[in-house]
Amino acid sequence: MAVSQRLESPPSSRTGRRPVKNVLYSQRLAPYFFIAPFVITLLAFWAVPLGRTFVMSTQEVLFGESAFVGMENYERLWRDRIFWQALFNSARYMVLTLLLLIPVPLVLAAIINSKLGSERVKNVFKSSMFVPALTSIVVAGIIFRLMFAETGTGLINQTIGLFGVDPVRWLRNDIGGLTALLTLAMWRYTGVNILYFLAGMQSIPKDYYEAASIDGAGRVQQFFKITLPNLGPTLVYVTTISIYGGLAMFLESFMLYAGNNSPNNQGLTVVGYLYRQGIEENDLGFASAVGVVLLVVIMAINLTYLAFTGTFKKEDSR
Amino acid sequence: MAGTRKLTSLAAAGVASLLLLSACGSDGDGDEGAAPAEEGGTTPLDMWVFAELHADYYEQMAESWNEENPDRPVDLNVTVYPYDDMHNKLQLAANAGEGLPCVVDIEVSKFGNFVTEDGRTPLMDLADAAEPYQDDIVQARMDLYNRAGGQYGLPTHVGAFVAFYNTEALDAAGVDYTTIETWDDFQAAGTAYNQATGKAFGVASTGVDMVEPLITAQLGGNFFDEDGNVAVNSPEVVQALEIEQDMLDAGAISTIPGGSPDSEEAFGAINRGDYAAIVYPAWYTSRFVDYMPDLAGKVAIAPAPVVEGGEVATIGGGGTGTAVTEACESKELAAEWLAYAKLSPAANVAVWEVLGFDPVNMAVWEDEEVTKNPDNKFNQYFETNLFDTLNTVKDDIGNFESFSNPNLPAVDNIFTTVTWTEIFENGVEPQEALDQAQADLENQIGE
Amino acid sequence: MSAPMRTTTAVTATQASTQPRRPRPEVRSKHELPRGLFAAVQTGFLVLITLIVLAPLVAIFIATFQDGNQIIRNGLSLDIELGELSLDNYVMLFTDSGLYFRWFLNSVVLTAVQVAGTLLVSSFVAYGFAMYDFKGKNFWFITVLLLMTVPFEIMMLPLFVMVNDFGLADSYSVVVFPFLAASVTIFFFRQYFLGIPKELLEAGRVDGVTEFGIFFKIVLPIARPAIAAMAILNGMIIWNNFLWPLLVLRSAEKFTLPIGLNTLLTPHANNYELLIIGSLFSLLPVLVLFILFQRFFVAGMTAGALKG
Repeated sequence: MAVSQRLESPPSSRTGRRPVKNVLYSQRLAPYFFIAPFVITLLAFWAVPLGRTFVMSTQEVLFGESAFVGMENYERLWRDRIFWQALFNSARYMVLTLLLLIPVPLVLAAIINSKLGSERVKNVFKSSMFVPALTSIVVAGIIFRLMFAETGTGLINQTIGLFGVDPVRWLRNDIGGLTALLTLAMWRYTGVNILYFLAGMQSIPKDYYEAASIDGAGRVQQFFKITLPNLGPTLVYVTTISIYGGLAMFLESFMLYAGNNSPNNQGLTVVGYLYRQGIEENDLGFASAVGVVLLVVIMAINLTYLAFTGTFKKEDSR
Repeated sequence: MAGTRKLTSLAAAGVASLLLLSACGSDGDGDEGAAPAEEGGTTPLDMWVFAELHADYYEQMAESWNEENPDRPVDLNVTVYPYDDMHNKLQLAANAGEGLPCVVDIEVSKFGNFVTEDGRTPLMDLADAAEPYQDDIVQARMDLYNRAGGQYGLPTHVGAFVAFYNTEALDAAGVDYTTIETWDDFQAAGTAYNQATGKAFGVASTGVDMVEPLITAQLGGNFFDEDGNVAVNSPEVVQALEIEQDMLDAGAISTIPGGSPDSEEAFGAINRGDYAAIVYPAWYTSRFVDYMPDLAGKVAIAPAPVVEGGEVATIGGGGTGTAVTEACESKELAAEWLAYAKLSPAANVAVWEVLGFDPVNMAVWEDEEVTKNPDNKFNQYFETNLFDTLNTVKDDIGNFESFSNPNLPAVDNIFTTVTWTEIFENGVEPQEALDQAQADLENQIGE
Repeated sequence: MSAPMRTTTAVTATQASTQPRRPRPEVRSKHELPRGLFAAVQTGFLVLITLIVLAPLVAIFIATFQDGNQIIRNGLSLDIELGELSLDNYVMLFTDSGLYFRWFLNSVVLTAVQVAGTLLVSSFVAYGFAMYDFKGKNFWFITVLLLMTVPFEIMMLPLFVMVNDFGLADSYSVVVFPFLAASVTIFFFRQYFLGIPKELLEAGRVDGVTEFGIFFKIVLPIARPAIAAMAILNGMIIWNNFLWPLLVLRSAEKFTLPIGLNTLLTPHANNYELLIIGSLFSLLPVLVLFILFQRFFVAGMTAGALKG
């Protein structure tokens, strides 16, 4: 009440009664009330912490006391081999998930979308592929950690054993660990991406295909000539979430290695390094510098993205 | 926009008060352990530990304290968290200056995170509380947690390194463990065993920092120089790792599932007989008894291998410093109870009987009624008596000073994530891997 | 808020799956039989992939009848030794599982409260963006879009420090409050509201309903499909929320399921059986909801993937 009274809005032309009433009917003031929760969230939980990150990144923080150290944290970061390794790991994971989690679901979605085959099988397939997405990363990580066990009795080693391959100590070497991480990502997100692509495909008018088949285009040709070009927005969307998801990946690795310390840091990601420095090593200042760098990377990608697609311009004109 | 800004600040104030309200609300029902002692009643003490076994032990010690001190009983409330989790939580709480438990187990390689070099710490100085028991305790183990003149933690065990041999497997391969005295002997026996059986003999751990400090100490080395600066590429450390890498190449030691003998995967492998020789601190007895039942009666305890002409025979390895926080409302009583629970003669007997550890009160080591008790489950499990072995090296247990350096957590982290993996898994030369670790640490610590 | 980034952030608009219009009835025959070898191969291929994808879940199900320590030691597999199977773990779960059901209840309540709050606050904000023109609208809306791409992990540490400064650690309020105005959900609701005819609003105004009354009494009731989709989307994210609650919640009685389960992954607690069976049981509520409301799940997950 106090809030609305202090605003002293002019009397509404229709009612002209008590000011409280006027505010409730004011189309001029209403939008500010509506977006207020967002603005508050933005300030309290994003803007202020962000400012604090910048400040802390120039400090040494211990047991609640802080001392200004200038750019020392950033200098350390620049020379820090393990930070670069973490950044490399995150980028590598991001690129590989893009290479796997776009083409594979795309082809599977095209198969489901084709007229060929039994609808019932396809529906069961679609639902089953989605089930892993319902599994929390914590549980999925526990399951995959145990499946990729380094003993010969784990499911993965048993499976490759069928083909005469000796047991692999998956999580003890870089490529093995990466394989496990990517398998987990494939398992969990293929079904979701299939749904995205399917939704995109189903919005492509059927007559496009009819016209193409009259012209004598085969299935494969139709896929490249009609399906792909018309999936543009969906592809952009899936690429976007995969980029951010890949760069910010942490929990998958955390669960797979049962903690943040993987052999030779092969599973360490940027967020993992932020967590290690800030929480495990108790170096909030340095961890803040890691956070700032991650923010800069993400913002650079955002701006590039913006320049290429003009997304924000379009939103402006709505 | 002016209107927006005004609204914004008003709304921000609104949210702040909302948050405060909910904070008050949650204070009411949460936060146990903060309550001070009721008049003449029981004093609640909350405690965090990272091993279930320790929780059982402390609860027993609370019970016996209450019997002996009916006028000042404590109500101990122990919470068990996983290792990483507990230390992280403690750190977060220490930074925040609230949410700390009264009493807490801190692992030795993490202890440096809680006391700075100049003595800033959320922990309480326990020197006064420890005073009555001080004389019987191995001083080196007390020194582990002594920083800037304050005694911030109390030790649990000596953790002297010994060797555990699977005699059934060794006999079958014709290897006699009693002839193993030096690392050279160990390597020869291991190579012979490996060739005879195709199985692994000893363990090259990538995930813990155990045998490396032992050999380094035997060689008279240290992870830090005289001024306390990191020196992990000093000649003795390099040599220690070369000894291990030679053994690895010869087949005398091998990497283990789980990365160290103290992991569930490793318990499975050792229990199956995949590894025949484990060089580990004496407290590993408890892991055998609890997690490897199939080996009962088949494991002998012998002195850890030594370096010929070395400085010391063995050192204490691992360790848990139990601390009382300054924030604890009944910290004086907590400190008194803790000193009783860890340093008193009764406690030291219990440390052996309940946990199977080698107690820090060495008088217990000589008390055959305790050490040779045939009803003791540890004595029943092992072929040889732990204390017979310990007493042979008793006067030659060295103190590895690196364990009390405030930078040990950083060193331990880089060793157990990067350096040991590079050396034992990827075949990197020890000198090269340790030079890299030195460079990384210098950058990290800012020397 | 990193979870939504991974699975569900909306960047382009949608209408197709959630507009109040009904989907077109299926024209094609329902009984399209597999024709020829190609169809048979395709079916075989899909069945094979289905089996592979479900294998991990089958493996953890089998594991619930086995000794937990052996599973951790030997790894998870599809091996079944009939003599070794027992219901002990199920008995343990229902008689001696410590705080497990407490965590379960915490998760259920927290998810329900947070989903309800998020839907209410986010749709409220979205309505402002969709239905009004006001100064600074573009600026604020662009920040909504920008926030969708900033991983929450960057804010995590400073926010955590602030939480401590205010003495709010270990309270559910800090788990919930930062995410009530969720940018993805705001964006989605805004797209949905844009499709609602303005005449409805005018009719309300003529009847003397306040601006807020119009939102609550007229617009929200017809936004049910969008609410269902967003409830599912947010529900899945919140049910699985891990890192922030892990930092903020301290006492074991307040843990949620993911955090609680994570604490069981240690060799020093003797609780591997609970880890395994507890993991399986934590999937059940989501699975049951999925089977009941599959349609909404698909709508919720793909919300935002289509261009409007």
